[in-house]
Amino acid sequence: MSNKRDSSEKELGRRKKLHQLRQIVQIFTLILFLYLLVGTRKEIITVLPHDLFFRLDPLLGITSILANRVFIVSMMLGVFTIGLTIIAGRAWCGWLCPLGTILDWTPTFRINSSQMRIQSHWIMAKYILLFIIVFTAIFGSLFLIIFDPITILSRTVTSVIIPGFSFLITLVEISLYRIESFQPSIEQFDYLIRSRLLTEQPFFLPNLIIAFFFGLVLTLNIIRTRFWCRYLCPLGALLGIISKTAHLKHRLNQETCISCNQCETICPTAAIDAKNNFFANTSECISCLDCVEICPTKSITFQHRNKINLKSNYNSNRRQLVKSIGVAFFGGVILFVMPIFQVKNYFFIRPPGTDEQALSNKCIRCGECARVCPTGVIQPSYSPKYLEVLWTPILMTRLGYCDYSCTLCGEVCPTGAITKLSLERKQKTIIGIAHINEKRCIPWAQGKECVVCEEMCPIPEKAIKLEKDIVMHSSSEISDVLLPRVIPELCIGCGICEYKCPVEGESAIRIYRAETLKHRAIIGTYRKEHRHLTK
Amino acid sequence: MSKVNRRKFITATLGSAFAAAAIYGYYQYTQPTDIKRYSSPSITQKESKSQPTDNSDSLPTPSTQSPAHPPKDAAYLAVAHGENPTEIVETALTALGGIERFVKPGDDVIIKPNICVSYRSFEYAATTNPEVVGALTSLSLNAGAKRVRVMDNSFGGSPEKAYTNSGIEEAVNAAGGEMELMSRIKYRAVDIPQGKDINRWSIYGDILDADVLINVPIAKHHSLARLTLGMKNLLGIVQKPNRFHSNLAQRTADLNSRVHSTLTVVDAVRILKDHGPTGGNLDDVEIANTVIASHDIVAVDSYAATLFGLTGNDIPTIRSGAQMGLGNMDLSSITVEKIDV
Repeated sequence: MSNKRDSSEKELGRRKKLHQLRQIVQIFTLILFLYLLVGTRKEIITVLPHDLFFRLDPLLGITSILANRVFIVSMMLGVFTIGLTIIAGRAWCGWLCPLGTILDWTPTFRINSSQMRIQSHWIMAKYILLFIIVFTAIFGSLFLIIFDPITILSRTVTSVIIPGFSFLITLVEISLYRIESFQPSIEQFDYLIRSRLLTEQPFFLPNLIIAFFFGLVLTLNIIRTRFWCRYLCPLGALLGIISKTAHLKHRLNQETCISCNQCETICPTAAIDAKNNFFANTSECISCLDCVEICPTKSITFQHRNKINLKSNYNSNRRQLVKSIGVAFFGGVILFVMPIFQVKNYFFIRPPGTDEQALSNKCIRCGECARVCPTGVIQPSYSPKYLEVLWTPILMTRLGYCDYSCTLCGEVCPTGAITKLSLERKQKTIIGIAHINEKRCIPWAQGKECVVCEEMCPIPEKAIKLEKDIVMHSSSEISDVLLPRVIPELCIGCGICEYKCPVEGESAIRIYRAETLKHRAIIGTYRKEHRHLTK
Repeated sequence: MSKVNRRKFITATLGSAFAAAAIYGYYQYTQPTDIKRYSSPSITQKESKSQPTDNSDSLPTPSTQSPAHPPKDAAYLAVAHGENPTEIVETALTALGGIERFVKPGDDVIIKPNICVSYRSFEYAATTNPEVVGALTSLSLNAGAKRVRVMDNSFGGSPEKAYTNSGIEEAVNAAGGEMELMSRIKYRAVDIPQGKDINRWSIYGDILDADVLINVPIAKHHSLARLTLGMKNLLGIVQKPNRFHSNLAQRTADLNSRVHSTLTVVDAVRILKDHGPTGGNLDDVEIANTVIASHDIVAVDSYAATLFGLTGNDIPTIRSGAQMGLGNMDLSSITVEKIDV
């Protein structure tokens, strides 16, 4: 922020450096963002709060407070961003937003602006999106927050870029490790760099949808520079409304302006309009200061005081804004009236310390929990059936398991959607319940020995008991083997049994949602059958 | 077409090299690591005939004898009993003729304790006693080992956390050894020529290449193997160890025929009598204050079984090991030196 203020007060002769300065700030912020992402992996080792960017994002703060109807203190850092916007307009977008930085570096076809001109009223799309998000938040659902730029980037890095890159690097390491002379250096690289920067989390294929979404944002940039920021970004819309009152904003000295059109051409968000005598629409302007630098007559400044010959022009869109609120309210009502899906899937397992209500109200879909999870069991949910909870955390218990000695997901959750549990409490929190599929289980179906699930079970009393019994398996043969049985009263559903089950393909023991009716029935019949075991 | 300049050329070359390496890596990655060779019946018969012994009472084959000729007064198997884990380890090794018998100056030593889970401290007897591992580390270093690495592939929780929570990391670092995180790039699929059930498996390369492997299991209950001791401890050095369980005893013995533990020291300072191998209940833990050491892994396991009121013959793994000639499970035929500290 201080950089920003300094720069606006710089002498005219030093203006050439503005662009470089902005780039330095952008690179620094992006590196900070990535550092916080990489530093919050398996453990929190960052100096600054690991969720700094989520807290700085006022959209996340406002919507999570609205949806939850509880004041979330940690999300109040967004006031800083609002303050910055009041002082310097959408400087967040131009100088700090990591997604904006990436979009600045994304190549664009410089199409002549007169061709393929996107009608200026399309910029209202982002306001409509913003208001729909706010209205759905008021109705208690945060599911449209997936359009927040900070979570888009964080989610993509967490669930696609880090695991994908890690997998690629490991493959290259495996093949280079075959060459003997490379071995020591590969070992060093693996130990010092890869294991510290990248996860060993599995790559979860449905996360490609997240990658596709991010790819779309990048691809749209080809049509227009900062397409996302201009037309879609709800955070940009929020800051755009606030920036109407900005102190430091685009001001033009009309006397010296020679109408050379250079500022209109360079403006990345098309805020400057030649038809409007080269005045800028403040809520579109991202304070990048490129126009200040390019102006041959130094007619543009971002000064605080309104000198006599410096004018700023509000391209007021009040009427349009009211219209978009109306449209958004309509949209919000439709979404509200739409039947809200009850998750009934038996395999929608949630992390310990959370429930559907908390995830619907508080989860901002940032993916922090998925990134810290040491086994990679937490993944963004993807079921098109449950769009309401799209990309909220679920446990894919065939990809990993909930570590009995880990409480990280609750510790990193920025909004408290996953409760911070003490280790003792977490070890007693029921995540789900295991159930053995006797048609797949090796001892039950084949009469061969296998006790892996019982061996792995972390419960001190073992929630899986073994009983030597006679089974008649597929080929009508009779075997005398140890048969595993789940004790539902003891099982917390950590899923290590499902993860380690040596049966190929679908596991012979699976974790079910504890509260599903079907499972209650399963437990009920189980209790009747095996009452002697549980006592 | 645009001209190819130097930068473009270098970028393209490096890019395609990266892609080629990745594709080759993927090929290696997807290679089945645990091929079971289904040989024709006649060959199987021949192989089983060629096995040197089926009689567990016979002496072990020369290949599994101690690496160096033991001093004449050295015990075949040493059992030390006492309050201080470090002292009893040292005593047991002195009785075996000193660590110098196993570790030569300049050797690359790997110690394989049992650090199976990250959520138990050593009091729960799920992981090897840190003092025992620390004592072996400093003994090996004093004998002139080039470096001493300690590693295990924890199945529950991350290895880093398991190393810390078990207390082993602290003990090993204090003794001057290093903890190694077992990297997935170092596994190598190797043949197991003597294997009866498995003929090929992916095993940790560094352990195959090490000069000395010191196997330091903790004696504990296991529902399928009945007890997990030295031989079963080696399941921590293979990929997909859960695939062993369909024929655990024979496959464990097959693995031990390929990977030879130079020295086996069973930590029975605290033993876990039920709910193994993860434990978690102090009621299941019994303080036995014992370590058992020998070059013969079968003999060590067989003796450790007696702490649980069993004999080697009761444990299928030990039986299979003796049948394959990996060692001697008959305690009456060997010299056992018991020392109280």
